[in-house]
Amino acid sequence: MQGPGSNGLAQLQATMHAVELACTSIQMHINPAAAEATLLSLRSTPQPYQACQFILENSQVPIARFQAAAAIRDAAIREWGFLIADDKRSLISFCLCFVMQHASSPEGYVLAKVSSVAAQLMKRGWLDFTAVEKEAFFNQVNQAILGIHGIDVQFIGVNFLESLVSEFSPSTSSAMGLPREFHEQCWRSLEIDFLKTFYTWARNAAISVTNRIIESNSEVPEVKVCNAALRLMLQILNWDFRYNSNSTKSSINVFSAVARHDTDSPRGSECTLVQPGPAWRDVLISSGHIGWLLSLYAALRQKFSCEGYWIDCPIAVSARKLILQFCSLTGTIFLSDNGKMHEHHLLQLLSGMIDWIDPPDTVSKSIECGKSESEMLDGCRALLAIANVTTPFVFDQLLKSIRPFGALTLLSTLMCEVIKALMMSNTEEETWSWVARDILLDTWTALLVPFDSSGGKSMLPPEGVNAAGNLFALIVESELKAVSSALTDDDDDDYLHTSISAMDERLSSYALIARGAIHVAIPLLTRLFSERFVRLDQGRGVIYPTEILEEVYSLLLIAGHVVADEGEGETPLVPYAIQTYFADNIEADKHPVIVLSSSIIRFAEKSLDAELRALVFSPRLMEAVVWFLARWSHTYLMHPEEIKEGNSAHDQDHQLRLLQTRKGLLNFFGEGIQGRLVLDIIVRISITTLMSYPGEKNLQALTCYRLLHALVQHKHICVHLFSLDSWRNLAHAFANEKSLLLLNTAHQRSLAQTLVHSASGLMNSDASNLCIRDLVGHMVTCLGELSGKDDFKIVAQQPDIILMVSCMLERLRGAASASEPRTQKAIYELGLSVMNPVLVLLEVYKHESAVVYLLLKFVVAWVNGQIAFLEAGETAVVVDFCMRLLQLYSSHNIGKISLSLSSSLLSEAKTEKYKDLRALLQLLSSLCSKDLIDFSSDSIETQGTDISQVVYFGLHIVTPLISLDLLKYPKLCHDFFSLLSHLLEVYPDTVAQLNSEAFAHILGTLDFGLHHQDTEVVDMCLRALKALASYHYNETGSGRTGLGLHASGIMDPGGNFQEGILSRFLHSLLQLLLFEDYSPDLVSSAADALLPLILCEQGLYQRLGKELLERQTNPTLKSRLANALESLTSTNQLSSTLDRINYQRFRKNLIWYRRF
Amino acid sequence: MSDEEHHFESKADAGASKTYPQQAGTIRKNGYIVIKGRPCKVVEVSTSKTGKHGHAKCHFVGIDIFTAKKLEDIVPSSHNCDVPHVNRTDYQLIDISEDGFVSLLTENGNTKDDLRLPTDENLLSQIKDGFGEGKDLVVSVMSAMGEEQICALKDIGPK
Repeated sequence: MQGPGSNGLAQLQATMHAVELACTSIQMHINPAAAEATLLSLRSTPQPYQACQFILENSQVPIARFQAAAAIRDAAIREWGFLIADDKRSLISFCLCFVMQHASSPEGYVLAKVSSVAAQLMKRGWLDFTAVEKEAFFNQVNQAILGIHGIDVQFIGVNFLESLVSEFSPSTSSAMGLPREFHEQCWRSLEIDFLKTFYTWARNAAISVTNRIIESNSEVPEVKVCNAALRLMLQILNWDFRYNSNSTKSSINVFSAVARHDTDSPRGSECTLVQPGPAWRDVLISSGHIGWLLSLYAALRQKFSCEGYWIDCPIAVSARKLILQFCSLTGTIFLSDNGKMHEHHLLQLLSGMIDWIDPPDTVSKSIECGKSESEMLDGCRALLAIANVTTPFVFDQLLKSIRPFGALTLLSTLMCEVIKALMMSNTEEETWSWVARDILLDTWTALLVPFDSSGGKSMLPPEGVNAAGNLFALIVESELKAVSSALTDDDDDDYLHTSISAMDERLSSYALIARGAIHVAIPLLTRLFSERFVRLDQGRGVIYPTEILEEVYSLLLIAGHVVADEGEGETPLVPYAIQTYFADNIEADKHPVIVLSSSIIRFAEKSLDAELRALVFSPRLMEAVVWFLARWSHTYLMHPEEIKEGNSAHDQDHQLRLLQTRKGLLNFFGEGIQGRLVLDIIVRISITTLMSYPGEKNLQALTCYRLLHALVQHKHICVHLFSLDSWRNLAHAFANEKSLLLLNTAHQRSLAQTLVHSASGLMNSDASNLCIRDLVGHMVTCLGELSGKDDFKIVAQQPDIILMVSCMLERLRGAASASEPRTQKAIYELGLSVMNPVLVLLEVYKHESAVVYLLLKFVVAWVNGQIAFLEAGETAVVVDFCMRLLQLYSSHNIGKISLSLSSSLLSEAKTEKYKDLRALLQLLSSLCSKDLIDFSSDSIETQGTDISQVVYFGLHIVTPLISLDLLKYPKLCHDFFSLLSHLLEVYPDTVAQLNSEAFAHILGTLDFGLHHQDTEVVDMCLRALKALASYHYNETGSGRTGLGLHASGIMDPGGNFQEGILSRFLHSLLQLLLFEDYSPDLVSSAADALLPLILCEQGLYQRLGKELLERQTNPTLKSRLANALESLTSTNQLSSTLDRINYQRFRKNLIWYRRF
Repeated sequence: MSDEEHHFESKADAGASKTYPQQAGTIRKNGYIVIKGRPCKVVEVSTSKTGKHGHAKCHFVGIDIFTAKKLEDIVPSSHNCDVPHVNRTDYQLIDISEDGFVSLLTENGNTKDDLRLPTDENLLSQIKDGFGEGKDLVVSVMSAMGEEQICALKDIGPK
């Protein structure tokens, strides 16, 4: 860049003054708009480099220099393609030289900005520069880092590398308007060729200043360099290593820890693992580098009392973070020597940081006395990191060589201290002990979560078992204490809301610890329970303190987590620890788990007594009881597992004993007397919670959804249910008791579903159907009677009637959704007999949207469950009913406007409409499925029902109700377009027969969808278009009419020629492809739609192409466009048939075409 | 409603009972409830407990169906609440008079002339514009607890 002439100089100064003025006025808030405009124009000027460099070198205003650097970055990234190679290089070296020269300048942010600009430009040109060119830049940087030019320059050099590494790392890189591949290439190249070198430079820089730091007694400038170098090393170790680790398959470490680091392992999620691969071994492991780091930190620890150093001073924090990062080091960097090298590495780290956390009581006390907790927390994090890369056994052994106890004992004592501290502090805010407890719990989880199905490898060594046992006892004690102390603060609602599920995560960690020492944990729980039960028994007749209720509540939750797992939809197994540990305890009724379960069930049974219920079983306690029963019964009650005996692989003595205890455990609550007894108790408790706790929605929800619902999921339990008087009582009460009508309607729905489900467990299908008729009879009668009343129209609006109708509709919906093949008949009859009442209700409650919605949902559920099984005649009835329903709904709602002063009521009204329409679309989709899945004996055509016509007709009714506003609801929009495109794809022939009005409507919608924001919607429209066009092309090709008039265009009544629809869509699709921004995901489907359109309308396509070319004035672009259009249709041996190969070829052409 | 009362057109004093008791726990979102003597539509229900081991209580947020004011109430969920009897009747719109009243055609051929137009400009114009364009309009009149108001509008004219 040449020096400016005098004229140029004046201009440069003028620019500089303008920018400086703008910067100062932004700071002073004087006319910010104008100032911003000035700065923006600087950034968008073409080739502003000279002016910017002038500002950087001459301006006295630091912000102006900052802005100038930003402008260089923006302009260079924008104009990179036009810059000549020399300019590119000189821009980067200008930036580098600038930061080096001004290294001692006090405005750090300007330097940081300029150095990041250099890094970004370097990345932008990374793939263009030759190795020599890069070498030149890095030489300069290396010189700086070596410290030849002094501390400040050394710092700047390290800093530049930090920005460079962060620019190249995918998660922190800045956008450059380039494809992802570019970033990936840079990423790869830096990792393979430079990263290790950078690391060595940083390490050497840090080592070179270490002595100065250690020797001096106050803060020295070298600290800054050392800190920056440590940060850079940490950043490099944070790199997402890709290319080294898996390159050499043969050297994969067989150290057992490696196996568990699959990305899908739950343990890896908390902690990122550092796996740089074998190439890094010399730098990181063999060089004695870690020893240096640990001794540096040890030296720093000595200085915490000196001026300029303290426990949280930046260099100490960076050093600790780097040590933590080393704890997470794993993978092929270690030799495959059976883990020796890795163990040695961890041991070295552990002995370096053991003082942070050991002895736990002293550490904890000094923190309570005001010492900063960060070192101790980092120690805990280090334990977590180590736990993540080892097995419990290795973990425990690590400490043995330097301490008389193992690491598990240390972990346990440390956590005990933390929990003690937690119990002492009663504050609401998060103290250090909270954080430490969570980290240590994670550590236990990392150690104890089994990572393969056998689970055997995470068994604790004996010393660890004791440690876990002690810890669990203390945890339970602290939970119980927390409960009673929380009660002294009067009820805070937040705590109440975080009830069962919110505590889940913590409790399941506790359960893991308990299972680690299961032989201690279960008896402990049993003892704690029985103590409290005795106290409750003794205190009969007096009012109990909430304290004891709350303790039982917590114990129930803990016990539930310990003895059983969450099923998550599957039948959970008995936890492995329980299966194995009590192998010697063959006598079933002395099995600790059975003893514990039985005592809890006996306690729960007491809630059946009205007097005790009022005294002891508060709704909240009952919630815990129901929750426990649900979780417990899922695992233990009538477990379906068949115990296979004499399995050849398992005939060892131990295995046999194990099987027998398991069998004893499961059979105890199996389908024998004991199991049925417990089932009966559970059912009676459920009846009690539903009928004797009026208005307790949470409790009833738990009963309906968790307990009862889970019971009927098991066929073998259903078999027993109807043999129980209690279950029959429930069914009877459901039909006749007024109090069950007071349940939340959603719970009534669930109850209906549960009862109908259980009926399908009956032995023969006639009995099932009969049973269902009994169950649902009252709903049918009730609705029939109501709707048949003469004055129904008048009384219908009364709240009590509305409530009754809503309850019945919800129950019907529940029953309908529980339809199964063997009960299908009864459910069909149910729907059939309420068809007329339903239509009457729809008419009467046309203004009562809540009722209408329930009604529609019932019909949807019913049709959905039935449609596949219906015979032709039945289908005709159902279809007819649905159409009447649709027409009635439409006549009530079309053109209706809600008037209300309240905007929230108006938006409620809109939401209700949306929900209705979604239900209607679901109804149509269900009908549609009849053509795909049909189990009936004859074809539906025998009755003259054509599903496609029916659905088109339905769509025709529904479409006018769907306004553009409603299509803003993504779900509705999605449903609507997927139905539409399904119809067009599967039944294009029916479309052809539609009248022009209906047809126009569908096409209008398609056109709307093509321009929709959501790519999925556009995609569905494109598929529909493809279907239409290829149908027409194939049909006309074989001499038929295809879409006929719709395609060829018609004269409208006004005498204007209306273009055919295919040409219209060819128009709009080309418009979309050529001039609008669209997602690259759509290219394939757009190609699929475009090809048949072009084939149908060859002439038009040629004409459009010509017009397009004529409009283009720029000759180069014109010829490129002509080429592109030409090759779109004529390369790749494209032929004029619509087969798969041809579609594929055309897709390729279009993808290629996009690049022009 | 008895037969005698049914002969009177004025719904304002017709309600044999204007409200019904209903257990608080059964009242759902989008239902109706009386809060502080006003008929409301429920837009939000939440439950909480009185004390840790106490009973559930429901917290209702309602919007007055006539004045659009927001009202709130807390009721133990096993207690009863008043639920208004909300009636909606469709009438054909015959005329809009200068003094702010509408003239409506009842089912049995009489006219009902005692209903005021809404005072809100926006709602007013929605009614007036449609009528001015000569559309056949049906208005839904919502009545509850002795008050009534036009709540919806529907064009039934030939397409």
